[in-house]
Amino acid sequence: MAARIPGLVLLLARFAIAKQVLPTRPAARTPGLVLLLALSLLAPATGGERDGVAVIVHPDRRVELSVDDVAQIYLRRKRFWSDGSPVVPLNLPAADPLRERFSRLVLRQNERRLAEYWNRQYFYGVLPPATLASTEGVRRYVAADPNAIGYLPAAEVDGSVRALLRLD
Amino acid sequence: MSDATSQSAPPSRGGRPAAAWAPLLATLLVWVGAGAARAELSGAPPVDAEAVGLDTAIGRVEYRAGRGLHLGDTRLTIGGFTTAEAERLEGGESAGGIEGANFFLFFDPLPYVHLFSELETGQLVGAAGDQRGARSHLRLGVDRAYGDFGASDALGLRFGKFLTPIGRWNPVPAEPFVWTASEPLIVENVFDDTVTGAMLFGRAFAPRGALSYSLYGTFLDPFDFDPGEPPAEHSAGGYVEWASLDGWALGASYFASEARGGPWHHLGGVDGLWRPSARIELSGEAVFGEGTRENGALWGLYAQAVVETIDTLYAIGRYEHFAPPGDGRAIDLYDVGLTWIPVYYLRLKVDYRIADHRDELSAPGLRSSLSLLF
Repeated sequence: MAARIPGLVLLLARFAIAKQVLPTRPAARTPGLVLLLALSLLAPATGGERDGVAVIVHPDRRVELSVDDVAQIYLRRKRFWSDGSPVVPLNLPAADPLRERFSRLVLRQNERRLAEYWNRQYFYGVLPPATLASTEGVRRYVAADPNAIGYLPAAEVDGSVRALLRLD
Repeated sequence: MSDATSQSAPPSRGGRPAAAWAPLLATLLVWVGAGAARAELSGAPPVDAEAVGLDTAIGRVEYRAGRGLHLGDTRLTIGGFTTAEAERLEGGESAGGIEGANFFLFFDPLPYVHLFSELETGQLVGAAGDQRGARSHLRLGVDRAYGDFGASDALGLRFGKFLTPIGRWNPVPAEPFVWTASEPLIVENVFDDTVTGAMLFGRAFAPRGALSYSLYGTFLDPFDFDPGEPPAEHSAGGYVEWASLDGWALGASYFASEARGGPWHHLGGVDGLWRPSARIELSGEAVFGEGTRENGALWGLYAQAVVETIDTLYAIGRYEHFAPPGDGRAIDLYDVGLTWIPVYYLRLKVDYRIADHRDELSAPGLRSSLSLLF
């Protein structure tokens, strides 16, 4: 909670400018902008876009993966763990900002390109990773299934799962 | 090749008149298309949106647009596509029709087993400019039917009838997955579309990409093939591809085939794909050697560029050269077209083919199609 306070201050500063509590005339806006910039720099890397994305597996899954490996898993090209168990990748809903960020960081493709890719996979009966509605659902599923892999905001990782990678 | 991709399949003379319900079907298809377009304008459904879901005795039955109907806990999925086509060729020939559905049925009873089949139902309704009335040519055909078995990315076994893994186009040749309503000659006329037998396949991963391979051969009697184009009695081949996560891929193919009582023919090929940006795709392939059905050396290539002009509207240009075996005259073809993909499961294509001379291999003219994944 304490870590979120500078973000809240930032929000209040933006609100103040929007409501003209802080000066908005060009000549007088500069102090407000300086204040805003200073507050922005104070904000820690938590919450929303600035938070890291953690790729998680079951605590018993002793494996190291690169970002490329994770990409191959989420494109369903890499289908098996090294012990022969099937990989179960989990996604968040398509409109979820964290999924958009994950796709940008890992898959490096926009949604239309990915849709084209999944169309071609569908021609072979291969479907995209299963989708769960929330990060809490992903965390609980991964904690229960040694074959699963998912992603969460780094701040939401706890002892029930193991973080393999942190993406910023 | 699937009949669904055929551009000018003549309506069966033995088919029954379908004029009475053709307008209804056409209206239905247009309505579905218009609905999809409205969905785009009002915020398209996400790629893996759940369109319809129902809890039943066999678990949750879900339908996802363009991703099929998942039958609860049975691990069975039913999906597919349908296509409407129209063409007007130089010289005045015209034809059009609505294909019946191509159904995908896939079943994953175990993590190590994937059973897949594609069934086609023929042409629902078709009409040609030189024939009176519309005709239906319904039939149940098996385009593909195979099982994949394996517990490793490095090695798997496919057994059954599957698409011949040569080049970039033939492995995914159906209308909803390609950029033009016309098909390159080197895909259409040179080798068997399918193999009935077995294939070893696998993939090895490296930084920024993966190397995949397949080795296959005909070991079973072919079934449900076009009698006018009987497949090779024996065939074997291999394909290797490097696919980069950075948006490019290179592949190489080899295919050997023996027609009944004939000599062995050998065919080689290379193919490539490059996406220099999110809006541009360049691809091409070339084959050289001897095709399946005719004696004599041939070679051909195509190079294709796809550019997303404005969101969801793509401009396509393609150049083809094909030198047929024997004394046939080489032909140069130029295709230009537009493809509109308002939502990922709907694709409207219009393209015009220009040829340096009229040839029975490929008539110049306008071709269009509307395809819907379901």
